[in-house]
Amino acid sequence: MRSMKIKLGVGCVVGAVLVLAALATSAGAANPVGSGKASATKAVCGMGTGKAATGKPIKLGGIDMLIPGVDFTTVGKFADAYFKCVNANGGINGRPIKYTLYDEALNPTQEASLAKKLVESDKVVGIVGNTSFAECGTNWKYYKSKGFVVIGAGVQAECYSTPSFAEVNMGPRYSNIGAAQRLVKLGAKSLVVASPDTISAYADGGVAKVAQAAGIPSHIFPIKLPITDANSTILQLVQAAGDGGGVVLDFTPDSAPALMQAAISQGLVDKVLWGSSTPIANEFMAKQFPQFDGKMHINQEVGGIGDGTPDEVLYAQITKKYAPSIALQAFGQFGYLIGQMATKALLSVQGPITAKSYNNAVRALKNAKTSMLCKPFYVGSVAYHIPNNVDINVTYKAGAVVGETGCIPIQPVDPQLTQTRAWEKKFNLNTAK
Amino acid sequence: MVNFALTVFGVDWVFLKPYIVLGLALGGVYALSGVGVVVLYQATGVLNLAFGAIGAAGALIAYYFVNHTSLPHWFAYLACIVFGAVVNVAYGMVFGPAFAGRDPLVKMMGTLALALILLGVMAWRAPAGGAFVRVLQLPTSNDRYAVFGAVVTLTQIIALVFAFVLTIGTTAFLRLTKIGTAMRALASDREITATLGVPVRRVELAAWLGSGLVCGGAGLLLADLFTSLDYTALTFLVISSLAAALIGRLRSLWVTLAGGLAVGFFQAVATPYASITNYRTAAPFVLAIVALLYLGRHRTVTLSRTAG
Repeated sequence: MRSMKIKLGVGCVVGAVLVLAALATSAGAANPVGSGKASATKAVCGMGTGKAATGKPIKLGGIDMLIPGVDFTTVGKFADAYFKCVNANGGINGRPIKYTLYDEALNPTQEASLAKKLVESDKVVGIVGNTSFAECGTNWKYYKSKGFVVIGAGVQAECYSTPSFAEVNMGPRYSNIGAAQRLVKLGAKSLVVASPDTISAYADGGVAKVAQAAGIPSHIFPIKLPITDANSTILQLVQAAGDGGGVVLDFTPDSAPALMQAAISQGLVDKVLWGSSTPIANEFMAKQFPQFDGKMHINQEVGGIGDGTPDEVLYAQITKKYAPSIALQAFGQFGYLIGQMATKALLSVQGPITAKSYNNAVRALKNAKTSMLCKPFYVGSVAYHIPNNVDINVTYKAGAVVGETGCIPIQPVDPQLTQTRAWEKKFNLNTAK
Repeated sequence: MVNFALTVFGVDWVFLKPYIVLGLALGGVYALSGVGVVVLYQATGVLNLAFGAIGAAGALIAYYFVNHTSLPHWFAYLACIVFGAVVNVAYGMVFGPAFAGRDPLVKMMGTLALALILLGVMAWRAPAGGAFVRVLQLPTSNDRYAVFGAVVTLTQIIALVFAFVLTIGTTAFLRLTKIGTAMRALASDREITATLGVPVRRVELAAWLGSGLVCGGAGLLLADLFTSLDYTALTFLVISSLAAALIGRLRSLWVTLAGGLAVGFFQAVATPYASITNYRTAAPFVLAIVALLYLGRHRTVTLSRTAG
């Protein structure tokens, strides 16, 4: 009798476990991240089938810079997370994407050899996810000679002035212009901009043009990384801006905290208006620096994190499932957009997927809608690409990043922006409703 | 009404004076690090290039305890200082005897290896970027005072005072205590000191311990004064401390103190001068070279020729 009860008990427990497991499996299978049908209210990963791709892998690769004071590998790592989501949802017509990411130490020889390795040894069909202070300048001619168009997140001038790159972001120059525009609108009487010295010549010039257009003085400060005397540096910037002036910081979350903490320590937060380019539009920065709530006006090249739009929702879901160690941040959003656009290009290829067919598909991208950008993404066969040239402004509020403005066109202080907008209209690149 | 505006080489004194305060505060930490380096060198002949890396690793441990545990903050700060002492003593125990008979360059390269290992471990366990901003702010930084137009924190004042106290204390220790006398004897001649019955190993370990405690303390202060826990930058801040030690010719604690203060001072004061501001990080090297040339001006070089 007793053994009968034990058997019955064990049976009940096993049965309950099996039922729970079945429920868990079916619940998981019902809504895997990125599955379903794409619509105006829902974003999906690639084909959205919810079934893992098992065919022959399609090879993509990328190169990101990693130096003391700046880590750009987050961009490539998140592109990889996006591809994992695509692979879990049918891949590219059943074929998974295999993504290889290399990091480089701001070394042109290394950058050139890694590009060659990707194209000639690894035999990738496309290069995506590149972000570096110098890689665009080093490799654009090589990519052009091989017929490659890199979808990445740019920093230096060549990323936006050669045909070899189509960047999902607008880069520090235009983002700094956006931040400067905002500070002028808020009444800044002068503009000061500080960037890492390696990119300052390109990144900061636009702010000076914004100041010139507004009839106010400007000062540019190239800063050597890593920053070893943040207190003196921040004092220098605030002194140069003067009373009622504006200071635009152009640093990643690796270096900006030192300056912001120094501003707090020195009691300088309320002395000037503060602006920044995109990289510090992160929740972890907002949580760390409540003293800058409503006082740090950040130009955000991509949509507001957590704004509830379909791609932001999917971005958060992919982060949770495939990249839990990466906080919600602009560099992650860049990686998401890169993965999304590369996947759109791959899915549009008719016939075999080769380097030639993939890169032609990239060039053919236009009116590629995403809720992360103010206007659709495009590449097109033009001399250079600045597809992201309209964006928003955000600020910190109670540990979150919140919107300050709607979509605002970047002030066309550079002729390249005027030309880009003319191409957009002429070739109908991003004008679809 | 006449407005007297004092300028120093073209920069308004009102703008310049906050940099003097900031420079002296930073120089204080360079100075105390330099003193720690000199004491160890005097007793063991080891120029410790891992000084910055040990301090940075200790600061990261403190950051972990402060932000990821419910332990009291004083425990975290103590852990940083103890870590410096433990690593230094462990290195001294394991590698000290092995390197004792080697020339100073070999001894120095041993500590470079330690620095690189620690840097690798920090990059592995606490990678840069990703999801965190690492700031280790000591509670003393909440107390602020306006001095000459600059805002100084109690931490900065502590750093400066600590540098003086350490120099005075170490000088007294070396002159007045038995173990201090033994350290000075070791600095003169290790072999003869050993022959005289001085427990060389124990004295050397005491030097490693003292230097390690300073190392941990400096790491804690620098992590705060540096305003961001960038372990790479903190590791290489040892360069400024070494410059201070070299200015003191690895002998004089007081000149090392002055050297550290000078490095911090010139580095900060160069900031508002547009023509040199981009080169101010070279201040440690320039000052060390100038000091070595000046201090070595009376040295005579003897050349001989062997008859062929």
